[in-house]
Amino acid sequence: MFAYNAKLAFKSLNDRPSLTILMVAAIAIGLGLFMTTLTLAHQAGKIPIPHISQQIHLVQLDNREVTADDAENFNEMVDLTYQDTNNLLNLNMAGAEQTLVWNSYGILNVEEQNIQPLRSSIVATNHAFFNMFEVPFLYGKAWDSDADQFAQAVIVLTKKSNDYLFGGTNSVGQQVRLNTQVLTVIGVLDDWFLARKFYDRSYYQAFPDQGLIPSNFAFDNNFPRNARFDCWSTTTNPRKFTNNYLTELKTSECAWITFWAKLPNNTKEDYQTQLGQYIDSQKLLGRFPRKNQYFLTNINEQLSIISSMGGRQQMLGVISYMFFAVCLINAVSILLAKFMRRTKEVSLRRALGAKKRTILQQHLIEVILIGVIGGLFGIAVTYLSLQAMLRVNLYASDYMRTAADLMPYHQMDWEMIMMAFSVSVGCTLLVGLYPIWRICNVSPASQLKAQ
Amino acid sequence: MEFRPILLSIKHNKAIAMLVIIQVAITLTVLSGSLLMTTSTLKEWNLPSGIPHDNIISAVPQFYDLDVDVRQSVVDDLAGIKALPGVINASPVTQRPFDAQGIQKVYLDATNEAQEYDTNIFTGDANFHEVLQLSLIEGRLFRENEIVTGKKDELNATPPIVMVSEDMAKALFPDGDALGKTIWLAKGASPVEIIGIYSNFMNGERLNYFGQSYRTVLQPLVTWQNREDPSYLIRVEDGMAEGLLETVRNQLYQIDGRYINQVEVLTRTQKRMYDGRGSHAIMLLVISIILLLITAFGMAGLVSFLVTQRQKQIGTRRALGATKWDVVRYFMLENGILTSIGILTGLVLSIVFAFVLTEDSGVNILDMSYIFATAFFILLINQLAVYFPAKKAANVEPAIVTRAA
Amino acid sequence: MLKMENVSKIYRTNLIETHALRKVDLHIGAGEFVSVTGPSGSGKTTFLNLAGLLETFEEGDFYLDGQNVKGLSDNQLSELRNEKIGFIFQSFNLLPELPLFDNVDVPLRYRGFNAKERKERIENALEIVGLSSRMQHLPTQLSGGQQQRVAIARAIAGQPKFLLADEPTGNLDSLMAQQVMELLEKINQQGTTIIMVTHDEQLARRAHRNIQIFDGQVSDLAKDQTDVLIQSE
Repeated sequence: MFAYNAKLAFKSLNDRPSLTILMVAAIAIGLGLFMTTLTLAHQAGKIPIPHISQQIHLVQLDNREVTADDAENFNEMVDLTYQDTNNLLNLNMAGAEQTLVWNSYGILNVEEQNIQPLRSSIVATNHAFFNMFEVPFLYGKAWDSDADQFAQAVIVLTKKSNDYLFGGTNSVGQQVRLNTQVLTVIGVLDDWFLARKFYDRSYYQAFPDQGLIPSNFAFDNNFPRNARFDCWSTTTNPRKFTNNYLTELKTSECAWITFWAKLPNNTKEDYQTQLGQYIDSQKLLGRFPRKNQYFLTNINEQLSIISSMGGRQQMLGVISYMFFAVCLINAVSILLAKFMRRTKEVSLRRALGAKKRTILQQHLIEVILIGVIGGLFGIAVTYLSLQAMLRVNLYASDYMRTAADLMPYHQMDWEMIMMAFSVSVGCTLLVGLYPIWRICNVSPASQLKAQ
Repeated sequence: MEFRPILLSIKHNKAIAMLVIIQVAITLTVLSGSLLMTTSTLKEWNLPSGIPHDNIISAVPQFYDLDVDVRQSVVDDLAGIKALPGVINASPVTQRPFDAQGIQKVYLDATNEAQEYDTNIFTGDANFHEVLQLSLIEGRLFRENEIVTGKKDELNATPPIVMVSEDMAKALFPDGDALGKTIWLAKGASPVEIIGIYSNFMNGERLNYFGQSYRTVLQPLVTWQNREDPSYLIRVEDGMAEGLLETVRNQLYQIDGRYINQVEVLTRTQKRMYDGRGSHAIMLLVISIILLLITAFGMAGLVSFLVTQRQKQIGTRRALGATKWDVVRYFMLENGILTSIGILTGLVLSIVFAFVLTEDSGVNILDMSYIFATAFFILLINQLAVYFPAKKAANVEPAIVTRAA
Repeated sequence: MLKMENVSKIYRTNLIETHALRKVDLHIGAGEFVSVTGPSGSGKTTFLNLAGLLETFEEGDFYLDGQNVKGLSDNQLSELRNEKIGFIFQSFNLLPELPLFDNVDVPLRYRGFNAKERKERIENALEIVGLSSRMQHLPTQLSGGQQQRVAIARAIAGQPKFLLADEPTGNLDSLMAQQVMELLEKINQQGTTIIMVTHDEQLARRAHRNIQIFDGQVSDLAKDQTDVLIQSE
């Protein structure tokens, strides 16, 4: 019976193929746009280093004045001052790894005259960064705690900057200049894809950094501090700290350093206790005038707060839902018209002994077939439209980002392909229910008399 | 008109009628929504720049060796650049047209309550107006000896004079008597006198967004900060800009200890300024057009299908005396009724949608004329989509009625 | 009233030409009740289509109510059908979506009558066929005989000169067929010319005269030739 019904369903699709093409095209195009926005959102919503992201916490202490506004979440809270960063690192909080991050920039250049200097964004951090975030190395290794302590002139290059400066060879032990300072390459990173660049709280997609250096070395050589300085009444023009006034900055209450703690299972409470004790000890020194308030926010929590702030992407999302709805309605009205024309035939089949279930099966197969074919083409349309979006984004960023960097955000994974398929079949079935219901309720005799 | 039989027939095919109505309503909502978004995004888009941007090169060098004598290198750079064949003139600047960073304020008095005016403050030497080919509307130009030169935080005194653009002058002094007036470039700063008014040029994206594209103030100042020496704007002979990019880059690389960040024709700077929203808006438009096509094709497909279903009916009508045009009219009228109901529903949805978008973006985008235009356009497209299959259907031989059922 | 001279109808396909009707010469006078008989495939339907202006012909002349219809445009033919001819089909051909009232209304609308006149005519026609109480019913709610009576009402509402009936009782049982025939005879007595195609000999005999079509040839078996001539001239 199934084979017979399948044959009938195929035959029906073959009858007036232009209408079938119209239905499939409508579903495929609607699904394509829908899946494009869904894929973009899916990729943008991916969590970096997901297997440890819940252990990685951003640490923020509220050193602000009494009059400051209460903060609801990490996004409204200040980062850490230099003093607190240093104190926390020196406290050796039990059970926790800690690192600091701030952004700098400079010009990377090598002796080789043919290679033009490379404008670089540089991460200033400490040795714990690499271990905590499980950073993959291609050559060499991370620097050690001595390098932090003695502010050694070492640098870890990313794969891309190593490709540019050293043609991709093992450059460990070679020298590069960051502006006029000579540094020794101690390691080269392998490809390190982060769905979002979380560690400097930029959450950027596809704007990778070029190198990492010890924070103390960056301080010693007064590399520019590319940060937002949240200073309270203490300073009128905090932007001056970008290039100057390092000594003042180090003792000020200006918060500007991103601070991370990796807190494996069950160590969070300990860490909180220790943070509380630290704040109490500082209160004795006249700091932290507000109630004890600190934020420990893991990566997952950060992203969910960030992504709840909509924007254009959301607008495109709403439009794509409606677009898909129109396409589905389009397909279903054709389907309905097609089924309704068949009432006479169905009533004859019923009169000849076809059960309701058989009629149901025949039309279900037809609808599912349309859904499957629509899904297949829809996946192709999604692929094409993601490629188009990639080009648009490349164009819109004036080619400051590369196609290769953007690619991961414009790619369907298996999860999305399966999703496309089930959405296609599911939605087609859903909208097909009514036409099927109508056709299944044709009574055996109604259409047989003349008319 | 034959409304009654059409309404009866619609009532008989309620489900399909409902689907058509919903489809039209949503199409109108999406279409007018994206049209409103697009027009509001593209407002102030690609305005005239006021300058020959195709013939202006901008170069942004960046020092990494802090021991370099910037004051001397500016002199050397300018001499070197101006000596290049094809170069007409050059000026050291801190902001570039299309790329003005942030929004600055100017004030009409020194008090704390002074009214503030948004602007972008440009700096340049006595050649600035010639590089951008600005014309002097009133007053005079800067003189060589009025140019203040120095590192930004080591300046002894800021220049006591400025020039302003035509639009800026109008904004500050609507009576048209800006020349010779005094303004303040910051609260608590020393007053400066407006000595000249020059023709408008595009400042940058930020003020463009607020419809204040041509508000600029120009200081006779050559200045730099740590690691950022002045950028250069270079006017070149017609058509030579692209070819000179590499030459200019190499010229600037003759001084060691710095990195030449960006050498480009201002045309590209202009493109970058508009791209972000331009590409987004155009994408929305493309989506809308596809949607419109789908609706139109869907409608045409549906009608062509429905008419084959009603062949006998058409034949009967023809036998009873209907002309071909009567048949076409019948289907067009039927579709017109359904589309109109869909449009009425869609109008309500569109207005709600526009309100939501307005609330989200903070910019009032509701403009009924666009929504009505979209509605009319959808009606037109749908009527066209029906016309062709209906015309084909009207060719049904009336003799079909005498064939056995 | 209806005069065909040398009318031929040829169907052409790529390979063959079929003469559906050959050189038909025929006069039918006002007020006649003519039956057309013949075996299947003889050309009965073609004759009906020609007479009803549903198809055009290649050769000969055809005068309907004194007007030569040869070479008239599609729109002119539509107008003639609407004014002069009422159709009654074997399969009724009622519009299933419309109640009886609106079904009868269809040709009147094309005629361009105003609403008041249409209403009067519809009510009148439905009264004649005895269905005025069911004006708002849909065709599917009626029996076959009732449906055919609606079709008759639709055919006579415009007061055409001719009624063309194509196997009007073909889908009906004998009791209902009897009613329909009586109705047609009543209409004929009030002056409407009726041409009825049928294969039922008994029915054919109830007509004033019988025309037989055999292999595209028409043989006119007038009961009273003189009578006809007097009436038609």
